[in-house]
Amino acid sequence: MKSRLKPRFRLSQDLAGNQGTVVASCVGLLLSLSLNLDSVFAASPSLADRVIEHKLANGLTVLMVERHQTPVVSINITFAVGGINEQVGQTGIAHFYEHMAFKGTRTVGTRDYEKERPILDELAVVGTELEQRQRELAAKSGGGTAEEQAAVASLQKRFAELQAQASQYVVGNELALLYQRHGGVGFNASTGKDLTRYTISLPANRLPLWAAIESDRMAHPVFREFYKERGVVMEERRLRNDDSPSGLLFETFTSAAFRAHGYGVPTIGWESDILSLTPAETETFFKAHYGPNRATIALVGDFDSKDVIALIEQTFGKIPASPPSSARMPVEPEQRGERRVEVEFDAEPSLVIGYHKPGLGHPDDDVFDVIDAILSDGLTSRLHRKLVREQRLAASVGSDANHPGVRAPNLFIITASPLAPHTTAELETAIYEELDRLKREPVSSQELERVINNLDADMVRALRSNSGLASQLAMYQAVAGDWRYVLQSRDKVAAVTATDVQRVAARYFTKSNRTVGVLVKKSQDKAVASALSGEVAP
Amino acid sequence: MMNVKRFRAALGLMAVLATFPLAAACAGGVGLGDPRTMTFAPVEFSPPDPERVVLDNGMVVYLLEDHELPLITLTATIRAGSWLDPADKIGLAALTGSVMRTGGGGGLSAEQVDEELEQFAGEISIGIGRQSGSASLDVLSKDFARGLRIFTGLIRTPAFDLARVELAKLQAIEGIRRRQDNPGSVVGREFVKMLYGTDHPTARESTIDSVRRITRDDLITFHRTVLHPNGMILGVTGDFKKEEMLTSLRAAFGNWEKGVVPQLTIADVPESDAMKPAVRFIDKDTTQTHLRVGHLSIKENDPDYVPLAIANDILGGSSFRSRLFNDVRTKRGLAYSVASRLNAGVHDQGVWLMRAETKSASTQEVIGRFLANIDRMRSELVSDVELAEAKEAYVNSFVFSFSSPSAIVGRLVELEYDGLPKDFLQQLRDKVVKLTKEEILAAAKKHLHPGRLKIVAVGSGKTLPGALSTFGEVKEIKLSPEG
Repeated sequence: MKSRLKPRFRLSQDLAGNQGTVVASCVGLLLSLSLNLDSVFAASPSLADRVIEHKLANGLTVLMVERHQTPVVSINITFAVGGINEQVGQTGIAHFYEHMAFKGTRTVGTRDYEKERPILDELAVVGTELEQRQRELAAKSGGGTAEEQAAVASLQKRFAELQAQASQYVVGNELALLYQRHGGVGFNASTGKDLTRYTISLPANRLPLWAAIESDRMAHPVFREFYKERGVVMEERRLRNDDSPSGLLFETFTSAAFRAHGYGVPTIGWESDILSLTPAETETFFKAHYGPNRATIALVGDFDSKDVIALIEQTFGKIPASPPSSARMPVEPEQRGERRVEVEFDAEPSLVIGYHKPGLGHPDDDVFDVIDAILSDGLTSRLHRKLVREQRLAASVGSDANHPGVRAPNLFIITASPLAPHTTAELETAIYEELDRLKREPVSSQELERVINNLDADMVRALRSNSGLASQLAMYQAVAGDWRYVLQSRDKVAAVTATDVQRVAARYFTKSNRTVGVLVKKSQDKAVASALSGEVAP
Repeated sequence: MMNVKRFRAALGLMAVLATFPLAAACAGGVGLGDPRTMTFAPVEFSPPDPERVVLDNGMVVYLLEDHELPLITLTATIRAGSWLDPADKIGLAALTGSVMRTGGGGGLSAEQVDEELEQFAGEISIGIGRQSGSASLDVLSKDFARGLRIFTGLIRTPAFDLARVELAKLQAIEGIRRRQDNPGSVVGREFVKMLYGTDHPTARESTIDSVRRITRDDLITFHRTVLHPNGMILGVTGDFKKEEMLTSLRAAFGNWEKGVVPQLTIADVPESDAMKPAVRFIDKDTTQTHLRVGHLSIKENDPDYVPLAIANDILGGSSFRSRLFNDVRTKRGLAYSVASRLNAGVHDQGVWLMRAETKSASTQEVIGRFLANIDRMRSELVSDVELAEAKEAYVNSFVFSFSSPSAIVGRLVELEYDGLPKDFLQQLRDKVVKLTKEEILAAAKKHLHPGRLKIVAVGSGKTLPGALSTFGEVKEIKLSPEG
């Protein structure tokens, strides 16, 4: 059974941290901060009233909820910056910058920044030139002249020397270490198409430590171990996309669905782009996008808001805003015919179907949330009932109303895995039949009631954890410009009618608006080293 | 795995002193200065103490009220698991748990249960794993009575609707067919089989045939003979009044008669097998090699558990802070995910392992770093700084093990299920506080065995035999296609 805690938004994310957090958490249970739950909240003041907002002169937004049960605090810093801010040829740079943000500052992560700085500067110049020349040589037949090869060898030598020198000054992972020593948990970050997020939970009296570290890294990150970290990100790409059947299917499917808009590019970036990112480009990207005016800080926990405001003013308040965004993003042209892609993989088949739809703020967006729940939320949902239980065609089905981001026009997707011996083709037919039914017949009032009941309950459940609440407040502020969007959105979902569902289904669930991705089992021609057959020692 | 969490939580307990008002949270207004030299008062917090009640039929109940949100959560930890599966019907326990949830019960059909529960947004999950079962109810407090009625029906008198049994079997078989899709899943399972042996209760797996042989009657019998109130521990948290809750629980479960609860005993692997090193690979068309390197280890109640756990923490258990992370990931850029783990419980032998995924070409280098780091762990004292960092991290993060009432109750339930004393965490904590570098070295020497390593790698069959050959005699594990 799929989780009935249905995320409102599911942002595809890449995390900088370690294996403990490989699965990007779903951000986005609607939070319930008010609503018609007054009777049950009688004991405490309306939770909506508990959100304290503060805006700094440099544009930084701070959202706070005091919760005094346990002496801890969870903090989420969310930048309205992500993969969609990247330029062609630099895909993956937003995610890569997020990795660099763990390397420290002019204070943290170094034994002596003044001595380290000239080495890092030269390393960046030499590394960039070296890679440029290597690319040129690789393009030439015969691998270039002896002179050209000698120049590369000389750069390589210098590069190695500089890397060794730079490493003398590095205090590895000191930023993370500081948090750990002070009891920090959940130290991580994630990058999606729309957002970049940094998280930590700490004993509440460590807030000054947090403010000192985070204001420093918002203002003065230092890109240490740049070239090694590219190797780390390449391993991350292999793990998540290249060697993962669902990862590769989604990457291929999404890039087929978007031909112009940046949503079609995997957040982690294309391999050749990752491998040619330079420190200078990363620095430029940082300066253009990651100012306090693009950030929301949400804090939930055991503190006095007045103290927190003073602390944040004193630290983050000094950071200048970044320039207004001048980036232009192509508008995805209307799709004029079905697109189909296949991925061959050493895995059992699966299927993803997507339809273009409007993004956040469009009235039809709320209708898709209702359709999403009716189709795949819980054991009584239509797709589960029909495909899994009655027809026994599918091992699993799911849907998501906001792939791969929420801010721009995106996709409504349906995913399914066939139950052998049934095929993805049979699944497709059965799914289309359910989508057609949405067009033909009004959904029942019972179904609509179930959607809103579950939404309201999920909103209460989302309040259980400090980090969950901080995540939601920051996310809605960043994507919608106002955390109260979550309240408005709930009411809009409640107002969706059966007629709305029919209209939206008919408008968007058309063949020409559809992209279909199929994972096909590759008949593997096993190429094991020749001496091996059965259990043999080479 | 849960025991790793428990350990981390336990160590934190050092910081718990007396209850008194917290000091001002923030030093606002003061010049902040260098975060590396900041100091803070220890966190002082006294978590609430759940109440433990035993019903007449032996069912144990832990209760902790929490009125912040209008929710109630009830979790039953059940003495049941796949260690009880007959050899020809592996998968029986898991299937029983699955269909208890989906097959109706308490006089309601499967459809009625789903409809009613989802209409009021109640959540019930039931699952039976290798060494325990778990059933939980999560509802808005206004819906508790009807939620409990459904929950009780599914637990006490599940209907095992035949169509749902068949569906669950088909789903289980499809799951078996898909086991080899992800290299991470393959390496994890094959490694466990290498350690314990393919027929051991900790490692054995269902097959399409074993699932096909399971009948509805088998599920009914398993439920009737295994699940008893005196084999269950309930943890209840949320928005209720204790006396009213106990009245409801007595009404729901009080007239359920005691039964004979199964013994949870799992045989050790013969020492001669555990000692044998091995190098194995599984050919899969991947760009990375997925690696597991390790051997069987001690249990959580072993006297050396704390020093070995701290040794592991420094070696590779503490992500950013650990040696393996710094060496393999940060300095060399060879992996995104690299770590070591000491997964120790009290029922079966623990496992100590190192893991990473790295591109095929760096397989040998990563294993080389693993070996070098074990050697260092076994030959040198850890530094004063490393030991201090490990202790501080535990002490200061302790408070997070009390971050919610359900975490507090859940921990007590777990300890009781495992037959460990209520103050087990405090005992661990006291050992950590006193722990010395010498004790860590002694534990590493005694319990990390380079000569016993089982190396399992999933990746390219073209390059792995060569890359692994310096670490011992390489053999291939051929996976038979499932289904």
